[in-house]
Amino acid sequence: MTAVIEFKDFSFRYQSQQEPTLHDINLTIHQGEKVLILGPSGSGKSTLGCCINGLIPFSYNGEIKGSCKVVGIETKNANIFTISQHVGTVQQDTDAQFVGLSVGEDIAFSLENNATPRDIMLEKVDAAAKTVDMSDFLMNVPFNLSGGQKQKVALGGILHDEEEILLFDEPLAALDPAMGMTAVDLIDKIHKNQNKTIIIIEHRLEDVLYRKVDRIILMNEGRIAMDTTPDELLRSNLLKESGIREPLYISALKNAGVVFGADEHLDSVDELDIEKYRPFVEKHFEKVNTNHMIEKGEELIRVKDVDFYYGSRQVLKNVSFTIHKGERISIIGKNGAGKTTIARLLCGIVRPKNGEVYIKGQNYLHLSIREIGRLIGYVMQNPNQMLVKDMIRDEIALALTLNEYDQAFIDERVELTLRMTGLYEMRNWPVSVLSYGQRKRVTIASILALQPDVIILDEPTAGQDYHHYTEIMKFIEDINKNYDVTILFITHDMHLAIEYTDRSIVFADGECIADDLVYKVLSNDDVISRANLKHTSLVHIANRLGIDPEEYIHHFIETERGVL
Amino acid sequence: MDERLFINLIPGNTFLDKLQGKTKVRIFLICIVALIATWDMRVILPFAVLSVVGLVSLKPNWKKMWGVFAFVIAMNLFNLFLLYIITPDYGLNVCGASTVLFKFTDFYVVTAETLWYFLVRFTKLMGSFIVSLTFIQCITPSEMAAGLNSIGVPYKICTIFSLAFRYIPDITKDFNNIKISMQARGMELDPKKTSLWERLKQNVIILVPLIITSFDRVGNIANAMDLRGYGKGKTRTYYSEHEETSNDKKMKYFYTFLLIVTIAVIVLRIVMPGEFEVWTPWI
Repeated sequence: MTAVIEFKDFSFRYQSQQEPTLHDINLTIHQGEKVLILGPSGSGKSTLGCCINGLIPFSYNGEIKGSCKVVGIETKNANIFTISQHVGTVQQDTDAQFVGLSVGEDIAFSLENNATPRDIMLEKVDAAAKTVDMSDFLMNVPFNLSGGQKQKVALGGILHDEEEILLFDEPLAALDPAMGMTAVDLIDKIHKNQNKTIIIIEHRLEDVLYRKVDRIILMNEGRIAMDTTPDELLRSNLLKESGIREPLYISALKNAGVVFGADEHLDSVDELDIEKYRPFVEKHFEKVNTNHMIEKGEELIRVKDVDFYYGSRQVLKNVSFTIHKGERISIIGKNGAGKTTIARLLCGIVRPKNGEVYIKGQNYLHLSIREIGRLIGYVMQNPNQMLVKDMIRDEIALALTLNEYDQAFIDERVELTLRMTGLYEMRNWPVSVLSYGQRKRVTIASILALQPDVIILDEPTAGQDYHHYTEIMKFIEDINKNYDVTILFITHDMHLAIEYTDRSIVFADGECIADDLVYKVLSNDDVISRANLKHTSLVHIANRLGIDPEEYIHHFIETERGVL
Repeated sequence: MDERLFINLIPGNTFLDKLQGKTKVRIFLICIVALIATWDMRVILPFAVLSVVGLVSLKPNWKKMWGVFAFVIAMNLFNLFLLYIITPDYGLNVCGASTVLFKFTDFYVVTAETLWYFLVRFTKLMGSFIVSLTFIQCITPSEMAAGLNSIGVPYKICTIFSLAFRYIPDITKDFNNIKISMQARGMELDPKKTSLWERLKQNVIILVPLIITSFDRVGNIANAMDLRGYGKGKTRTYYSEHEETSNDKKMKYFYTFLLIVTIAVIVLRIVMPGEFEVWTPWI
């Protein structure tokens, strides 16, 4: 096997930073391998990817020590065009990397830049489109494509036979669970059929393991913490220590007291030697009383028979549900199912075409967006789209100022909010120095300042690793518990739904197809397939052991929450 | 989302739509230069008629276009009206005669030459407008990039066009998202409840996050382009620029003819400038 990527005593420091981001990297990847680079945010995994595709040092300046060779070329002596001929990259942001005005054009982009004659270009584009299953979409514009389709296009764009290394930077970040599975499967097929070297940078271990990988490189704090097989990594306790989420089935088995031996295959839930673990699981598992209902507070929002259209396209069909004080609800469903529209509808930004929405018993048609804003807060996915002030304090005061409260009240409320959210120490910090997670926290605080009864959070965990994710969710959980604020998550992250919400409302194609306790929803086959979700690995274990999946998930949730 | 733009991203099915970007760009440039270069109705009228034929052949959505047309016609008429208010006998300067047809007062006279000049001016401006509209309606931004590139514009400049059209809708979407979040936090953008000045100030606040998110996006786009070899060679080819069809070949003769006419008009104007700018049939 020839080595296609070789790092030797490599370290890298960004020009703007004091400390190196990568230290003493020694790593060899061979032709035809499929490697996962795993690590929490800030571990240097993306930086490592940038060293492989040439963005470092050509787009990001900095200081390199040691050697990095890609297909035998020392990268710092080459240029980005030479490297990009060998390394094809699919970036995380599916939208920004779609440069063409149609699918065909985007797939052709690198060929155009190579001045490939058009007849050859057409053949190659057709072949690539066929591989990624986008042949029928060649004339489509990017605005009509889903995130998954855009990603397929990006992948098609780097399949024109020159690139022997394919690099995927967080390919699952923007996809719903079913699309994520399709993506992982597609990458696997290309790996098998085209003998390319595949490098995947991700922190969602369980989702990547849906198809086999040869090797996992675990990054932590700029160093390679482990370079090993999936089985060995899963057996170790390094994942939790590094802030990576263990696959649910591994956690469930570990909870049951299983200690994995050295020769056990763990990387696929369907290939586990389940009989070996049966006694542990059966001893550990007990039926939780599923009949206990969560106590509900007073009714806050009632959505009744709502229809909504964008132009002539119906996006909500006869939707009804009720939300009570103190509830934790996840609104889930595939991309484009109407989840975001629901959030906008509740905030009064769009109003129902038919049907009614009542807030605290009052039909909200008479309320302005601003009046609704005092009752229902809306936190958007990208904090950068919400932050407008220089100082944290001013940001939190903004909503109060806009609502024209008097200054004394504002000062008092801002201080209270700062203390509630643990931002008091940072109150005079400029927003620009905050990390992504801290910004998120500030946006939540800026909404809390109005003391709404309900907070809607759109994809609160997008773009965050397990560690930061846990931190944010703990923060939100505290607010829910201590101040009885109703929390509504809009998400396609099933882990989030399982761990941090009690009830799920599921949408598919504008219809509300389920509204029930979360473990019931996530063990319902029909709901899973209609909403583009996937079965959690817990369901696989339960099925293989002959335990009722619903009860098993419920038991798992209660165990994880420390109830049992 | 794309429906809101006045341009097409995917080529249509009519004769003009199916031509190469190269052909479209050339015809457009020749027509617009001809229309700008002369005040001679004998040149302007055929070009104006040609552009109307072009627009009609595209079978455009007239309903969508009606507003723009009304606006442009109104502006042109208003312009002529102002001209008349200031210099009623404008025709004397440009045509060299003053045949009075009607008198409001001694100053406000209506002369045949002024009317003729106004007619020429109106035809010229409407012709330029219609030819531009036809061009925009029949070309996709990528074809335009390819077409401009074919006449020697460096491809990096051409790319700006296609990229702008690619990302304007995304930026609009960002803007709307930010606006929504600000409204939910209590920003009042209802025209009935706030003054224009207040609303302008509010919109400036929205610009801050918009600029920050747009910069993020620009960085990502630049990386995506670098990684796929943009800027590697001196030339590049275009996926959207199809092979020359028989229609393109025919049009080549046609626009060569137009080019000769245009050059002749310009050369004649320079070599043998007439005494007066506007050719008038009866003078």
